[in-house]
Amino acid sequence: MAAQSKNAASVFPPPLVAGNHTFTSVTETVCGVVEKKPNVNWLLALMLSASIMAVLGGSVAYLFWEGTGIWGLNNPVGWGWAIVNFVFWVGIGHAGTLISAILFLFRQKWRTAINRFAEAMTIFAVICALVFPGIHVGRVWAAYWMLPLPNQMGMWPNFRSPLLWDVFAVSTYFTVSLIFWYVGLIPDLATLRDRAKGKIGYWAYGLFAVGWRGAASHWNNYERAYLLFAGLATPLVLSVHTIVSFDFAVSIIPGWHTTIFPPYFVAGAIFSGFAMVCTLAVPCRKLFGLEDFMTVRHIENMNKVILLTGTLVGYAYSTEFFIAWYSGSVYEGFAFVNRAFGPFAWAYWIMISCNVITPQFFWSKKIRTSMAWTFVMSIFVNIGMWFERFVIVATLHRDYTPSAWGYYTPTIFDISTFIGSFGLFFFLFILFLKFLPAIAIAEIKAVMPQADPHWEGYHKHEESTHG
Amino acid sequence: MGHGNQFVDQPNMDPKLVSKGFKFGVALAVIGLGAAFAGLATESKEQFFYSWLVAGMTFTTISLGCLFIVLIHHITGAMWSTAVRRLAENIAAALPYMALLMLPVLFIGMHDLYHWTHGDAVAKDAILQSKSGYLNTVFFSVRTVLYFALWIVIARFYRKYSVKQDATGDVAYTFKMRWWAPLSILAYALSVSYAGFDWIMSLDPHWFSTMFGVIIFAGGMVSGFATLGLYGLWLTKNGTLKNTINEWHFHDCAKLMWGFVIFWTYTSFSQYFLIWYGNIAEETAWYYVRMHHGWERIGILVILGHFALPFWVLLSRHMKRSRYAFALVAAWMIFMHYVDLYYMAMPNLHHGFHPSWMDLACFVGIGGVFLAAVMRVSGKDAIVAHRDPQLHASLNYDNF
Repeated sequence: MAAQSKNAASVFPPPLVAGNHTFTSVTETVCGVVEKKPNVNWLLALMLSASIMAVLGGSVAYLFWEGTGIWGLNNPVGWGWAIVNFVFWVGIGHAGTLISAILFLFRQKWRTAINRFAEAMTIFAVICALVFPGIHVGRVWAAYWMLPLPNQMGMWPNFRSPLLWDVFAVSTYFTVSLIFWYVGLIPDLATLRDRAKGKIGYWAYGLFAVGWRGAASHWNNYERAYLLFAGLATPLVLSVHTIVSFDFAVSIIPGWHTTIFPPYFVAGAIFSGFAMVCTLAVPCRKLFGLEDFMTVRHIENMNKVILLTGTLVGYAYSTEFFIAWYSGSVYEGFAFVNRAFGPFAWAYWIMISCNVITPQFFWSKKIRTSMAWTFVMSIFVNIGMWFERFVIVATLHRDYTPSAWGYYTPTIFDISTFIGSFGLFFFLFILFLKFLPAIAIAEIKAVMPQADPHWEGYHKHEESTHG
Repeated sequence: MGHGNQFVDQPNMDPKLVSKGFKFGVALAVIGLGAAFAGLATESKEQFFYSWLVAGMTFTTISLGCLFIVLIHHITGAMWSTAVRRLAENIAAALPYMALLMLPVLFIGMHDLYHWTHGDAVAKDAILQSKSGYLNTVFFSVRTVLYFALWIVIARFYRKYSVKQDATGDVAYTFKMRWWAPLSILAYALSVSYAGFDWIMSLDPHWFSTMFGVIIFAGGMVSGFATLGLYGLWLTKNGTLKNTINEWHFHDCAKLMWGFVIFWTYTSFSQYFLIWYGNIAEETAWYYVRMHHGWERIGILVILGHFALPFWVLLSRHMKRSRYAFALVAAWMIFMHYVDLYYMAMPNLHHGFHPSWMDLACFVGIGGVFLAAVMRVSGKDAIVAHRDPQLHASLNYDNF
């Protein structure tokens, strides 16, 4: 049973900024991460991720030279790891926009400590995602045909295909997320400009701070722009993964064609995205001394979202299974039984274990407030969500004609390309941590207890000076 | 937080106002239900059951929407909704009455409503045979009773401890209600979806859609916020809680109603779009009926009335904060929720659009019972959770 506390104040959550911070110490702590000389560990991490990124470069170069034959694609399974990785990375991106836009519209003030961080993650994840459709086309010199460019050959992409809508949806999403992130950064870039000691820093931060002086008119425009971007980014959170789900669901392949796909994909995307935010936030808050800003409450809230969205995904799995049986369609029924008990049953049960069972541990307050547990669970969720997309794609291995049935095995190049994409992701993320403030300095000051003019600390201060 | 406004209103509704509302509800119920029963003389039994089912479903899902609002309040530890939470609890308290109206009709009318109860039809139909493990009269009845039992237990639990807190102000009740919220939501989500599958989707037992339960839920949420808003507007207009429920609370109700309008559109459109694009006969049959013989006009009305109109009218902050605009759109949304359910259910009875005065009689009658039930519980206890430790924060809530 719940804690039977008699203290009425305990119904309110703990403060969003822990420790005894002043406005100055917030600036010092967050800017300190950027301004200090890079240490050896940071350099090692950067070099490691750059090396892994080189694996991506090498794999892609060989792909361009040799063609998609180096992957494990075969006749029944015409879509392989490329689309799995694409959906995996796009999904991860969703948490950043959910935190920055939707939680902003819901006035969830706890978002301020993690939004900058999560938005950066979004942008880098979408960059990783965009690699895969870009390289999978075989004739890469014709990749620009994905865009509807006017041309004298009268060649147009198929506007009726959701794969083309993906091009529009993901590129719009990337553009809006980037601008939204940048707009939010402007006041903090100005802070870094004003504090810069060297010429390069002053010039570089100053260029991107676009003359921000913190005037009331600046803040007024800023707040309006921010609200508008939040309003524009909110439908994008839903539309991107909805269209990704259409890639599968508009076909009439059993196991793909089901009407719950759009919200189910969106829930899964948010699920994986929050897991990735936790994977990154747990070590970063420790390494960079940001524990007072990304508090246990923030991590706990994210774990609650993971529990909710993981359970929603479980709801979708069970509804799909039930309706596949209820429909009375033998093909639908077979697709699901084959997923759970066929040759890819191992992948299916990894998916169920990681996506449905793992988050259930977060019913326990002890586990969802433990950093070690959070980190481990978030890795499991990342694994599970990759497998979810793999399970969906691998459904292809047994189609209507048993003589065409096959199996899918990835090659070394499938694996190296995927692992290499993590190098790209971490390379960008590690650079971000060193050159930009990982926490929205201006925003977090507004949610500190000290920002309330009636803060009791001020009374104490007055009493001690007057008394 | 914790400054400014204090709670100064009477925590109870004026008994005269209660009795006015209650009597009005009873009058509607007598007229409507009387007309519906009298109509059995001229109209068919099937028409009676279908009209009853659609109207009953409308008000049941409104109560369910408000029950979910209560659960969301607790699971998120929300502050703003403390001032209006008792209203949502009262609307959810109409569920037992809805069960009284729905259960007999589902049981007595089962044979007239549901094609899969016809043994001879099932014997000739391989698909219906394959579903008979789920769609059979015994299991259907058990599930129907279980759904209502579960919702009534949750609704009573949340109202009971909320009212208990009025006496003592003990914060332990808040924690108790919060503790049960996630489990209740889990049970709620499954039961509402499957109730949608059972009561509405299985009217056409061949057709299936995984999204269906979510659409039923979304429609209930739109009308839940609409009803909650109207209830609050009516109370404050009559002087009850006029210093408690402020424009920020109405603004949030309007925002959330508007948000769920979009969510409803998203789920309904996705279902339509995927079936249209897939274009396989076993799924398109459902929409085919609904796009011919006059039903296409109702379909267009649903698109315009359940999406386009509320979306554009309430898009601006100014309109959301206008009590008149919100009241008008909220009332309209309840009507559109009815039309939406009508559009899902009725084409199974009438091949072409065929309105019956029985539809109106059932809507007025069941709406009357619903109103009387809400008024009855509203008069019993305080109309606001006046000793909730979060009320103070809710009174001082704003969103600049």
